[in-house]
Amino acid sequence: MIADTQRPVGFFTDTSLCIGCKACEVACKEWNQLPADGYEFLATSYDNTRALSGTTWRHVAFVEAPGAGAPGAQQSWLMLSDVCKHCEHAGCLQACPTGAIVRTEFNTVYIQQDVCNGCGYCVPACPYGVVDLSPVDHQAHKCTLCYDRQRGGLEPACAKVCPTDSIQFGYLDELQARAQQRLADLRRRGVDAARLYGLDEGAAKDERGQGTLGSIFLLLDEPERYNLPARVELPQNTVLPSSVLTAAVGLLLGIGAAFAFRRK
Amino acid sequence: MQAEESKLITHHSSLVTGYYGLPVLKRPRWKWEIAVYFWTGGIAAGAYLIAAIADLFGDEHDRATVRLGRLLALPLVVASAALLIKDLGRPEKFYNMLRIFKLKSPMSAGAWGLFVFGGFAGLSGLLEVLAAGDSLRRVRRLVGLLGAPFGLFLGGYTGVLISATAIPLWARNRLLWGPTFIASAFSTGVAAIEALLALTGQGSGEALGKLDRVHRLGLTAEAALLAAGLARLGSSGRPLMRGRWSSLFVPGALGVGLLLPLVLSLLPRRREARPGLTLLQATCVLVGGLIFRTCIVYTGKDSADDPGAYFAMTRRRNGRQQ
Repeated sequence: MIADTQRPVGFFTDTSLCIGCKACEVACKEWNQLPADGYEFLATSYDNTRALSGTTWRHVAFVEAPGAGAPGAQQSWLMLSDVCKHCEHAGCLQACPTGAIVRTEFNTVYIQQDVCNGCGYCVPACPYGVVDLSPVDHQAHKCTLCYDRQRGGLEPACAKVCPTDSIQFGYLDELQARAQQRLADLRRRGVDAARLYGLDEGAAKDERGQGTLGSIFLLLDEPERYNLPARVELPQNTVLPSSVLTAAVGLLLGIGAAFAFRRK
Repeated sequence: MQAEESKLITHHSSLVTGYYGLPVLKRPRWKWEIAVYFWTGGIAAGAYLIAAIADLFGDEHDRATVRLGRLLALPLVVASAALLIKDLGRPEKFYNMLRIFKLKSPMSAGAWGLFVFGGFAGLSGLLEVLAAGDSLRRVRRLVGLLGAPFGLFLGGYTGVLISATAIPLWARNRLLWGPTFIASAFSTGVAAIEALLALTGQGSGEALGKLDRVHRLGLTAEAALLAAGLARLGSSGRPLMRGRWSSLFVPGALGVGLLLPLVLSLLPRRREARPGLTLLQATCVLVGGLIFRTCIVYTGKDSADDPGAYFAMTRRRNGRQQ
């Protein structure tokens, strides 16, 4: 149970433990009363939700690549339960013009549905392609980190239901330490491809990026294999330099126009 | 089928394989209303600014220019607000835009900018309708001058708005979309005034000559900025130059919107007004401006669909960090 509201919480998703059961997707949809996505499977995989969306807040990716040699041989069969990153510097939150997107007392990024008017600007402002407008109510939706459950002292539905503890919920600093330990453990056992996503040193020091993520991952391949960008930049870094240059060009054009009207 | 297959092969042989080629980013949900809003807002801002500048620096020949610029800005700003509200997922909650003010969010600053500029455009438009006499000339000038910064803002912020996203086509030309949009606001604003002058027969050769110079300035700036932007974008600019929108963008925005009016404006001038030529030139610029904005909004969706373009952007950033 989370009592200390000052201490950030988050997810540690350890893909080396994921078995692709999709219990997290189902639990998320049940608890949050989200509609189903149909039964069309992606390529040869068991993925029928394809990506995170306004109505899918946990998405299990099945990374399959055919291998050389015998027919049906596989080079990889990786699974990852993707979720909102609950960024330290969140593009969606900074873009939101209504103040609907806020940081909660649990340090998570949350969309207040009574405020959101569906302007959609958070959608291209998320560097991870997480948030989207829902076809049901035309407002922006994404993982709430089960804000309502946390208010009641419960862990998020996906973490609660995960049978292998691939999804772990807890205080972020504890999760980060656990992730580092798990990485060292796997490396020692020869899993050289293991890497952490969302808390590497570069990301933490990178002032222009998303900062430390509230959802950290242990991956078994390049992040792009799971459709995760290697290192993103906060879209709002652009606002100041771009505005200054725009104003400068506008002023120059105005001065030019003044000369045009003055000249006989 | 074969194309699909070869796509799959290149996809798997590259270092960056992605996830079945599915998009990483979500498509911006904006529809035609936003493209038209970018256009009407730009014209309103441009016309208002030209009117204010002509009033301050021009002479009696420019009276019609000033008047038409002000009369244009008012309805266009009202249309802009209506389009912006219509595009919302929940239009009935539009007032939540004015709940907070956030400088770092171009959408928030834009909503407020449009609101304040609307006040100035309304005031100067009403003054022009109700009190066009010489007695209130100073008041009209003052209103024009005070509203000018907001006009400048409205004309340019839309470019900053698209730059401050993760969409490769919009973000990788982050420094130049804003300047390109403000230049386009100037040229479409002038074009709208010129078209009305030509249509109502109010334009003297003198007045049209001055507007022509502003026109040439705006178009030249816009063409130079757009060329620099497309060069800067490189392969991220593919949705504009090669994609399904290119057959509209290249002839429409570049040909009809920029090149043709630039060539027309370089034709040898005569002292007397030539309303036919002016109208043709102005129509080209206005149509081209609408095509430009439509293509920018819709190719943003195509750019979001391309995981390779986004990975190239985020990998490059990774390399720079190390």
